[in-house]
Amino acid sequence: MITGAFPALLISSLKAYARNRSAMFFSLLVPLLIMVIFGLLNLGGSVSERVAVVDDAHNGGSQQIIRALHAVPVLKVSQGALDAERAALKNGDVDLVVVLPADLPPSFAGDATTRPVTITEYTNQARPQDTAVAGGVVQRVFDNLQHFASGTPPPILVQEQPVSGKNLTYVDFLVPGIISLSIMQTGIFSVGFALVAMKRTGILRRLMATPMNITDFMVAQVGTRMIMSAAQVVILLSVALLFFKFHMNGNALILLAVAILGSGIFIAIGFAIAGYAKSEDAVPALANIVVLPMMFLSGVFFSRNGEPDWLHRISDYLPLTFLTDAIRGVSVDGASLWTIRGDLLGIAVWVLIAVFLATRLFRWEVG
Amino acid sequence: MSPASPAIAATGLDPAFAAGLAIRVADLRKTYPPALVAVDGISFEVREHEIFGILGPNGAGKTTTVEILEGLREADSGEVVVAGIDVRRDPRGVKSLIGVQLQSSAFMDNLNLVELINLFAAIYGRKVDALELLRKVDLVEKAKAYVTKLSGGQKQRFSIATALVNEPRVLFLDEPTTGLDPQARRNLWELALTLRREGRTIVLTTHYMDEAETLCDRLAIMDEGRIVALDTPDNLVQALIGRGFESHKVERLASLEDVFIDLTGKELREE
Repeated sequence: MITGAFPALLISSLKAYARNRSAMFFSLLVPLLIMVIFGLLNLGGSVSERVAVVDDAHNGGSQQIIRALHAVPVLKVSQGALDAERAALKNGDVDLVVVLPADLPPSFAGDATTRPVTITEYTNQARPQDTAVAGGVVQRVFDNLQHFASGTPPPILVQEQPVSGKNLTYVDFLVPGIISLSIMQTGIFSVGFALVAMKRTGILRRLMATPMNITDFMVAQVGTRMIMSAAQVVILLSVALLFFKFHMNGNALILLAVAILGSGIFIAIGFAIAGYAKSEDAVPALANIVVLPMMFLSGVFFSRNGEPDWLHRISDYLPLTFLTDAIRGVSVDGASLWTIRGDLLGIAVWVLIAVFLATRLFRWEVG
Repeated sequence: MSPASPAIAATGLDPAFAAGLAIRVADLRKTYPPALVAVDGISFEVREHEIFGILGPNGAGKTTTVEILEGLREADSGEVVVAGIDVRRDPRGVKSLIGVQLQSSAFMDNLNLVELINLFAAIYGRKVDALELLRKVDLVEKAKAYVTKLSGGQKQRFSIATALVNEPRVLFLDEPTTGLDPQARRNLWELALTLRREGRTIVLTTHYMDEAETLCDRLAIMDEGRIVALDTPDNLVQALIGRGFESHKVERLASLEDVFIDLTGKELREE
């Protein structure tokens, strides 16, 4: 248990941390920078597919098709000559080129002729995803016109039911990701570097020569990082709300509690790394082995839906995935602790695993 | 624990310490796996209020011995009593009564001297006048500085200040003057003598023979894990002469260091 010396140890540790410029830079400025950059890029925000139409018919029929395409919100429709548009396709400036032939019927009215028309589509094999999406949407437009033309109702009617009326933007997806990312970074890097430096320089040894209670020291170290992580969350949330039109749909205190619990995982991993690393040089290598895969697989910047199935099944169990999903559940869906209990259980199990690793690997002495 | 001290087991205090002993070591052994015998059965006593030197070439076992006395390292066997407490049974109890200046003392970055002194005091559950303590080691004007801004001699003096926060009965100084210029060394010697005058017992390790001769009331010379000689500096020298030793050095009334100090003065220089 902690003793009367604990408050002094915690306050000293917090003071030293707050005065450490590079630690403050990495734990506060870097996440803010990432948020600003990704927020400005608004990646994923513009889910539009660019379709170029080459109109060789110039009749009522082609006008009808072009109007129908324009009416689809996700399509950005442009018109041009075949050569120019094919070049644009190669450059990746458009996703799909649709050629309307000269023998296009002048109208797709109810009594229209049933003579089949061949429409040529040029696709970019280098961008299969965009091409497929654009092709699918265009096909649906054609299908509708066809049913309209033949006078038969489509066999299947799809009724769209928008679930989230909250008008979520990419920023709403990104901010919870950045929060969970910075909790991971602060935990792993600040503990890893600080403890290895304390061992190497002999600070730890000097403290061991006093009757200091080890629990006091450990709890002060962990507490410092948890307090810093909480401060991080508050600052990131405030900036997101003030400058990025972030929609906070849940309770900020629940989010904070989840963040602090999650920081436990990464602080413990930091201790494990500090134990395993022989010198400060080894810390970034070890830390990045842990950090980098999760940074890209745990749905921080992009949805994990893009991952192949086998990878998705693995990334389901990453600690950062649990934390990111839990935080996003709170901020996007306004989840309660009970709703995200699955993620919380995942976080709790990872805390136990990480603490076990830390107690196994951490050493007070060098070598 | 060692069965050799029934008196401690009964009362918690060794009767020998009523008789003016600060430290008693009996048949202390320490082997590092697989087979490095660092301390090979040494025994010695340190009296209260004396400066006791432990000398020896690198690898002789000095540091291991001192670290065992400080409760930083576990002995394999033997009896170690410091300030009346069995170190092997109660290392924390000993740590609260002693002061330790380690060879490579480092302190937390981004905390100033006053904050560090107060932190150390809090660890001992004490309140101290940090400025008074800094005045004692002549660092009062550096009170708000970080340790990284101190010179070598200032660092060692600050290290001693942190070792004094708990008013220790026994103070361990591990090579306190290594790497210091002659002015800073003499300044530290004076500090050590002042601390002894205050009634503290000091255990000092050093590679400098002039330092041992100036400061130590008695000293032990270690080699290969054993104590090969233990006496006052004078007696050790007399015994050597008694064995028929003749120095090739011409006896002089002053040393080169005396010349250096005479020319450059005693004032401390700040690097």
